[in-house]
Amino acid sequence: MLFALRVAFRYLTANRVQTGLLIGGVALSVIVFVFMTALIRGLAIFLTAQTTGQIAHVEIEPLPRIAEVISADNRFAAQPISTFQRQQIRNWQMIVSQAERVDHVVAVVPEVTGNGFLLRGTAVAPVALQGIDPSQIDAIIPLTKSIIDGSSDLSTGGLVIGAELAEDLGLRAGIPVLLRSDRGIERLIPVTGIFRVGLSNVDRRIAYLSIAVARPLLSLPNGVTSVSIKLDDPSLALSVSKQLKRQMPLKITAWQEKNRNLQTALVSQGRTGNFIQAFAMIAIMISIASALLLTSVRRRGEIGIMRSFGISRGFVACVFVFQGIIIGLVASLIGAGLGYWLCLFLSDGLSDPASGTSLPIAPDEGGYLLVIILTVVGSALSAILPARAAARLDPVEAIQQ
Amino acid sequence: MTLLKAQGITKSFRTGELDTPVLKGVDLALEPGEMVALSGPSGSGKSTLLNILGLLMQPSDGSLSFMDETVSGLSDKQLSAIRNKHYGFVFQFHHLLPDFSAMENVAFPAAAPAGGISADIRNRATMLLDRVDLSDRIDFAAMRLSGGQKQRVAIARALMNKPELVLADEPTGSLDRENSGRVMALLREINQVDKTTFLISTHDPDIAKHCDRQINVVDGQIG
Repeated sequence: MLFALRVAFRYLTANRVQTGLLIGGVALSVIVFVFMTALIRGLAIFLTAQTTGQIAHVEIEPLPRIAEVISADNRFAAQPISTFQRQQIRNWQMIVSQAERVDHVVAVVPEVTGNGFLLRGTAVAPVALQGIDPSQIDAIIPLTKSIIDGSSDLSTGGLVIGAELAEDLGLRAGIPVLLRSDRGIERLIPVTGIFRVGLSNVDRRIAYLSIAVARPLLSLPNGVTSVSIKLDDPSLALSVSKQLKRQMPLKITAWQEKNRNLQTALVSQGRTGNFIQAFAMIAIMISIASALLLTSVRRRGEIGIMRSFGISRGFVACVFVFQGIIIGLVASLIGAGLGYWLCLFLSDGLSDPASGTSLPIAPDEGGYLLVIILTVVGSALSAILPARAAARLDPVEAIQQ
Repeated sequence: MTLLKAQGITKSFRTGELDTPVLKGVDLALEPGEMVALSGPSGSGKSTLLNILGLLMQPSDGSLSFMDETVSGLSDKQLSAIRNKHYGFVFQFHHLLPDFSAMENVAFPAAAPAGGISADIRNRATMLLDRVDLSDRIDFAAMRLSGGQKQRVAIARALMNKPELVLADEPTGSLDRENSGRVMALLREINQVDKTTFLISTHDPDIAKHCDRQINVVDGQIG
C-alpha cells in the first residue's frame, strides 16, 4: 500500500498545473462550506443571543384555571371562574428557593405584573407593569446598560420606562406621570430612567417599578404573578423547565416554547445551509471524479503495462483512491484554513463599531473537522469510479493503444 | 519439465455477428532455457498467440500449462500472480512509466507487491541496469532516456523478478539497426547466462536467426 501511495503522489506531482487547479477547485468548495456553516451558525447564535438576552429563559406562572364541569342530575353545568380574582403564586418564596437550587440557574426573579395606563395631559398610553425587586433590575434584561436618560434605580419608588413610550408621552427622567393600574388604582410616580433595548414591544410597552410599589397598585399584597429564571446556558431551558415541572405543580414554560417562530426559522435556515453544504460536497466529488477519470484515460498505457507484469487490480485501484484522498486532504486543509481566515476577516474586517453592526459570522463554528472528514471521505468515494475503470482496463488493449 | 505447453489453442474475435477465427488449434511447447522465435507475417496471429501464452488473454478453447501446472481457467488474480513471479515482458514500445526514474521502472514489478523499494530490490534493479549498460542512468527520469536506452530499461524490468520465461513482442521493432543488434545480443547473453527462456515474436528473419529454433505461424496455425 505504501508503494501505491508513492505512485499516487508521483502521479499528482507529475502534472502540477492540473493537480493545482483541482486542489484549488476543491479548496474553493471547502471555503464555501466553511463560510456557509460559520454564517448560518453565527446567525443562529446571534439571533438566539439577541432573543434570550432580553427575556426570561424559563417562566413560572400559576396554572390556568379551567371551568369545572358539574354533572349532577344529568344536566350540563359549569362552575364559573371569577375573572376578578387575580391569579397568583402564593408560596413564591419556596418556589424561588427551589428554583435557585437547580443547576445552571443564575437568577430567579419573582415578579408582580399587570396592565395599566400612563396618563399625561390628554395623552394616554397602555403599559405592561413589571414589579421587581430593585436589586434584580438587570437580572433578566441588562437594563442598566440600556439606560439613555436617568438611572435604573427603582428603590426610590419611580418608574423606568422604554424610550418609545417616553417619546409618545413626551417624558424625560425626573418628570412625574400618572399611572392607572387595571385595578383602577391611580398614583403619580416620577420617571426615574428611560431605556432603549432595541425591541419595539419592550421599548414601547414595558414599565419597570419596584415590587413594593407594584403590590398596592395591582392589589396583590402577598403573592407574585410569575417567577422569571435566567440560565447560564439558554439552550438548557427545556431540560431545566422539565426538571422544575417535576418539582412544582405550576405552569412552567421555556423560552423556546414561547418563541416557536424563532426555532422554526433557525431550523429552516439550518436546512438551507445543509443544502448548500451538500451541493458543495457534490461539486467536490464531481470535480475529483472527472479529473481522475481523465487521468485514468491518459495513463491507460502505463496501467496496461503494470497489469502485464502482474500488478494486481487492487494496487491500480489503490493508486487512484490514494490520489483522491491526497487531493481531498490537501484541499480541505487549505480550504479550511482560508475559510477560517475569510470568516475572521468578514467578522472583524467588515464590522462597524459605530453602528454596532457586523456580519454575524462565528469563525469558530465553521465545521472544520466535519468538512475535512467529509472532503477526504467524499474524495476517496469519488475516486472509486475512476479507480474501478483503471483497474478493469484490459492490459492487451491498453498496451496496443 | 516442459516450461510452457499449449494444446489446441483457438481464439476467435467477434465482430458484429461474425466470429473471426485468429488461432485455429495451436500446439506448442517451450523447454527451459530455450530461445525461440515466433515468426510469421503480419496478421498471422502471432501477437494474439503471444498474449495468450503470456496469460494476458484467455483462449477461446484449448489448454495451457505452465511448469506442468494447468493455468487455463485461473482467476485474474491468480494469473496476475503467475505473471509477476514467473514472466517477463518486453514490448515493441518500451512502455516505461515516464514519471519514474530508470531504477524505479526496473524495480516496479518487485516493489508493488512488496509495498516499497527495499534495499534488496534497489540493489537488484541497480545490478540489472548495470547489466544492460545503463549504470550511469540509474536516477534519470525515464522520459529523458533515448529510444535504445528505454528498451534496455524495459529488458532490465522484465528480468527484475528472475522470470523463467520472457515474452518479447517485436522487441527491436522501434529501434535502429545498431540498437537492434545490441538488444538482441543482450537477450541472447541473458538467455545463455541465466538460462532464461525467451519467446520472441518477430517478422524479421535476422532476429529469428539469433534464436535456437523458430516457430512459424501462418494463418492462425503452426506452419
